Amino acid sequence: MRHAFSVRIGPVGFRIGSDWRAPVAQLETLYADYPKPEIPDFTVRLFAARPWRRFVRPSVTIEGDFVLPDAAPLPLAQGLLAAEMGMNLQMALGQRRFLLLHASAVERDGRALLMAGVSGAGKSTLAALLSARGWRLMGDEFALVDPATGLVHAFPRLVSLKNTAIGVVEAALPNARYGPLMAGTPKGDIRHLVPDAAAVAAMNEPVPPALILFPSYGFEAESRAVPESEVFVRLTQASTNYVAIGERGFDALTRLVKTVPARAIDYPDTESAIAQVEALWAAL
Amino acid sequence: MARAESLRIVHLDAFTAIYHRASGITHLLASPAPEILATLGEAGLSRADLAAKLAAQYDMADFDAAALAERLDELVVSGLVATA
Amino acid sequence: MSDETPEPAEKAPSEETLGTGATRRRALMLGAAGAAAVVSIRPALAQTNASLLTCEIPVPDPGRAGKYVAADGSVVAPGTSGAFAPAGRPFKGFEVKQALGGGQLPGTTYEQNQAYVNYIRKLQHGTSGFTCFASLQMPRG
Repeated sequence: MRHAFSVRIGPVGFRIGSDWRAPVAQLETLYADYPKPEIPDFTVRLFAARPWRRFVRPSVTIEGDFVLPDAAPLPLAQGLLAAEMGMNLQMALGQRRFLLLHASAVERDGRALLMAGVSGAGKSTLAALLSARGWRLMGDEFALVDPATGLVHAFPRLVSLKNTAIGVVEAALPNARYGPLMAGTPKGDIRHLVPDAAAVAAMNEPVPPALILFPSYGFEAESRAVPESEVFVRLTQASTNYVAIGERGFDALTRLVKTVPARAIDYPDTESAIAQVEALWAAL
Repeated sequence: MARAESLRIVHLDAFTAIYHRASGITHLLASPAPEILATLGEAGLSRADLAAKLAAQYDMADFDAAALAERLDELVVSGLVATA
Repeated sequence: MSDETPEPAEKAPSEETLGTGATRRRALMLGAAGAAAVVSIRPALAQTNASLLTCEIPVPDPGRAGKYVAADGSVVAPGTSGAFAPAGRPFKGFEVKQALGGGQLPGTTYEQNQAYVNYIRKLQHGTSGFTCFASLQMPRG
């Protein structure tokens, strides 16, 4: 591969190879303050499926240590998105050391808040907004739980904001660094937010989880406690590697649900969500 | 009938979570399945002995051989109980 | 041996009824017909299939590269009559799954396919490709 970029994000190192300079240049700029890995854990390759695809309507095919055959390529203008998707894929399919949960994570007073849910529930947006209010951003896509210790490890990738969330977060964090606005992607408009210096500086400091939330957007404000067994089932569905890591996954998850309280919160808008989160955290 | 070996059992509120090492599969059990497993033990019991032991240990208003058979079949299908 | 995490007596279903002899009997409902008491955790479909598709099985394993595969799947010296040369490339999980279900591994003749499939069926823990093969065998996804 002509162009290459390496980065360590939390405990995971990546190497991204690319047939084009542009996505690598963007990654270098946005991840400028991050350390380099000693040895990468995963490799992502952005390449042209046919030689002319480097130049004519250039389209980026994503591969790596782990692949999804038949994945549709992306236009070069969305090369940064391709790189981020490639990194997600490697984690989702290949991560074995940590239990992976599809959840955002923020830290306050040495403890982590996990927000789990499907795409569109607001995990990334809420994490970004909380980071503007004194919480340390640990990650917006994956929460890493160490089965041996139960601690949550930060994995602060570029925060992926979609559609209306872009404007909401830009208003709350006007001085933050952002990636390019990519319009018309398969998931609509996307813009990446770069985690702030505090998030990057603290990314090697794991913390115990103290609260699990299942947010749902678009409903009247409401919250209810979620019983242990329901949290357990919902988190197995929110984990890409629960089955693959076997008994360690079972131990990590049962310990998590038995020691950490969980609530489902419905919210009509982000202000309401933030208020509910702060109130529930204060009541712990 | 006997309970499978190598089960890792954790009681959650309304359910019991069980990791079956041989298969790597996680099951969630609701009452009466955990009680049946506990009573069976790894040494095992005949169906008749199991029924008798359950009746002795628990107050079962709705004891019904067909219901017990159904519960046992579920456990066999899931791999948590082995038939002799 | 089985492990139970230690629990206060009122939580573990067995502890309050076994061992002490005299007990107060807890109620136990056997449940109505059709009411399931056992739920097996199935991972979200996409991630299971994705892992299946991405793993690889070399025939034979790299530790015995160059050796031939006999019709019954055993690994034999190169050139053994009736045996087949190693596969040109490792097979993907989804290709092997198809072959196990009656299809044919790509690029093979009927007999070659039989030999390779027999080799795969004999894979042991620790041999390259075993975990891939084992994951294809997992019942219920």
